[in-house]
Amino acid sequence: MNDGLRRGAADAWAFRTRVEREAARRFARLAAAISGFDPGSPLPALLRRAAQDEDRHAGLCAELTIAYGQLAPGEAADAPIAPRTLGLRGAVLYEMVAACCITETESVATLATLLAGEAEPRVEKVLREIARDEVVHGRMGWAHLAREAALHDVSFLSAWVPSMLSGTVGDDLFSGAGADPDPEGLLRHGVLPRSRKKEIFLRTLEEVVLPGLEKFAVDTGPARAWLARHQG
Amino acid sequence: MLFKKLFRLLVVGGAVVGTGSGCAASAQSQQTTEKKADGRDGGADPDGGSASAQGADGGMAADAGGGVTGW
Repeated sequence: MNDGLRRGAADAWAFRTRVEREAARRFARLAAAISGFDPGSPLPALLRRAAQDEDRHAGLCAELTIAYGQLAPGEAADAPIAPRTLGLRGAVLYEMVAACCITETESVATLATLLAGEAEPRVEKVLREIARDEVVHGRMGWAHLAREAALHDVSFLSAWVPSMLSGTVGDDLFSGAGADPDPEGLLRHGVLPRSRKKEIFLRTLEEVVLPGLEKFAVDTGPARAWLARHQG
Repeated sequence: MLFKKLFRLLVVGGAVVGTGSGCAASAQSQQTTEKKADGRDGGADPDGGSASAQGADGGMAADAGGGVTGW
């Protein structure tokens, strides 16, 4: 394994360590918030369990970060992302859609793609353990959206989906930056090469996330316009 | 194939979880009247918006809103 590949793998696993820690904090906060306005919802219990999962995932990602020669990142901050203009219930829905319907759904697709390749045994073990939980985490967002859509008009989300998407992917995904020098090597260490990452992100968006939002009467016109702008 | 499976697993499966328990299913019959009040609990238009104070556990950030980075 050369230094460049090692550094690429370490960066990716360090980033994931931080992402998993942030998710743990977010899920715990959202569990408390939903309990306050929907005591009959199954979501708080699922979110609390998911927060524990994410802490465990962070530990697994940190171990791989260290194995690839970097220090694992420290504690992560909880960063609410909903716009100020939303009320409490709308803000929670915003955050559940951004974190679960979009990000966790995309993560499941990424993990499934990585597992379809031939990862190093130690990496594969971590990927499998995380993938099992991420399916439940993705489903939580769709469960909350379905529940809210049964009670309220959730069409306000439509205009916000581009903001959610912009905060989910870095500009470099669409920038046409150069190809990774060793894409097969990255895959073995659990990292999607840039071109593959873009392909999986777009197909998951077009075939899972956007049809999912439409199922609950959220107009995806603004999201599709965002996509066209970034692909053009 | 993967994506069709993901749609069923996550979107359809999630909808069953969300509406199959608690008060949401029974509340479907109230949908029409509740929808009229959606401005109260739902969101405001991003261009207009009725700013409201919000508890620390609700989660809010900036006017524009953001997203969550993942894998």
